[in-house]
Amino acid sequence: MKHIETIETRNLCESAKNGGCGECQTSCQSACKTSCGIANQQCENKESK
Amino acid sequence: MIHQYQLGGYNIVLDSCSGSVHVVDEVAYDIIALYEKEGRESIIAAMNEKYADREDITPADVDECFEQVESLRKCGKLFAPDTFAGMAGHLKEKTSGVVKALCLHIAHTCNLNCAYCFASQGKYHGDRAVMSFEVGKQALDFLVANSGTRRNLEVDFFGGEPLMNFDVVKQLVAYARSIEKKHNKNFRFTLTTNGVLIDDDVIDFANRECSNVVLSLDGRKEIHDRYRVDFSGNGSWEKIVPKFQKFVEARGGKNYYIRGTFTHANPDFLKDIQVMLDLGFTELSMEPVVCAPGDPSELTAEDLPIVLEQYEKLAELMLERDRADKPFTFYHYMIDLMGGPCIYKRISGCGSGTEYMAVTPWGDLYPCHQFVGEESFKLGDIWSGVTNTERQCEFASCNVYARPDCKDCWAKLYCSGGCAANAYHATGSVTGVYKYGCELFRKRMECAIMVEIARTLARKQK
Repeated sequence: MKHIETIETRNLCESAKNGGCGECQTSCQSACKTSCGIANQQCENKESK
Repeated sequence: MIHQYQLGGYNIVLDSCSGSVHVVDEVAYDIIALYEKEGRESIIAAMNEKYADREDITPADVDECFEQVESLRKCGKLFAPDTFAGMAGHLKEKTSGVVKALCLHIAHTCNLNCAYCFASQGKYHGDRAVMSFEVGKQALDFLVANSGTRRNLEVDFFGGEPLMNFDVVKQLVAYARSIEKKHNKNFRFTLTTNGVLIDDDVIDFANRECSNVVLSLDGRKEIHDRYRVDFSGNGSWEKIVPKFQKFVEARGGKNYYIRGTFTHANPDFLKDIQVMLDLGFTELSMEPVVCAPGDPSELTAEDLPIVLEQYEKLAELMLERDRADKPFTFYHYMIDLMGGPCIYKRISGCGSGTEYMAVTPWGDLYPCHQFVGEESFKLGDIWSGVTNTERQCEFASCNVYARPDCKDCWAKLYCSGGCAANAYHATGSVTGVYKYGCELFRKRMECAIMVEIARTLARKQK
């Protein structure tokens, strides 16, 4: 019996290897303008995913 | 670090440092809660006792469940250690030293007189002013010159009301397009407007040139018109809604946000979101007001439980609308668990003062639009660059691990320490935290992840 369903997510530790290209959108630049959050940003570096 | 919560009928376990998300049954939920406090025998005994009268949960099930928790721990998806703290300075360095986004304050003036405006009706506590083409051109040259190898450059036309200086906006876009190929850059323009001056010319231009537009609408007419009035005190809802509808329809699927602000007058903001949906808008953002302490619009402690409940109901509404094949987007619930930000971004945050700066109509540089008008935060200007290096260093070293209050927060790698301006205004330090905002943020993340879980499981079922 499966007690735990793991939702597929990006491995954060792995992302340290090739991440940090900086091409992604600045967090609040084009929407909220008053409260920062980075969870809703898209990664633009296909190699690092 | 583990965070467990129950929402939407799911038992949810987040493993903050690996970024893993698990949906678990009640036994696994209980075992995980005890795992770091007690040993295996003690936990299994406690489970067998708790579920003794449950025929569907046998001691063998409890053993099996414990093994599954163990297995996830061993492969780094549960109880993953926080190994990022020592790397934080270096990680932030990797994203520092280049500028990739500017907020151009194209007009420090406005045709509305919104009492709750954080920019004091567009004037930012100063004189009314508009940016000249020459200043804007120099700002774009400054951006290109300081952008290093970054290809995507963002420029937001902001105010005040940027359409009060629309000719300069158009000239600056034409100039940027004329230089981007030569420098191997890709400008992404955005426009934030109150809608009063939208006409066919604006619509054609923005739909051709702007990757995103942010349209300010607070929802219900009586809520919107309470604050968003002209200088004679007349509400703007009737005037702008048809313009926004025409604008959005003409965008043909290009990005936009209907962006509302909720205040003490409407902590029940879901009613406002419903109005936005009823008007045909589906890309929505609703933000808590940013104002001085004591302002009548300020959200209070009594408003907090109402707001938190609204966020949960909003998540339920999104799933209901999914099932009815009428989906909509809420900016703060957009979360791509597979394609989201890397650890650098999660530690570094918004990049204010380093990657991102605001430019005043006369060419001064500030860490972001929310610091404009705070003289001590002036970083320099677009001709000489950053000269206040001491102040910039504060922002360069401002990462999630530099904020003591974030140390034990499960959400720190989702918010990266939050907004420096909110922190400064709440605590006097950019490395402080705006605790009220944290409460809202954590609830938004819980809801966003629940929605994503429900959507993922629904896709699997199909």
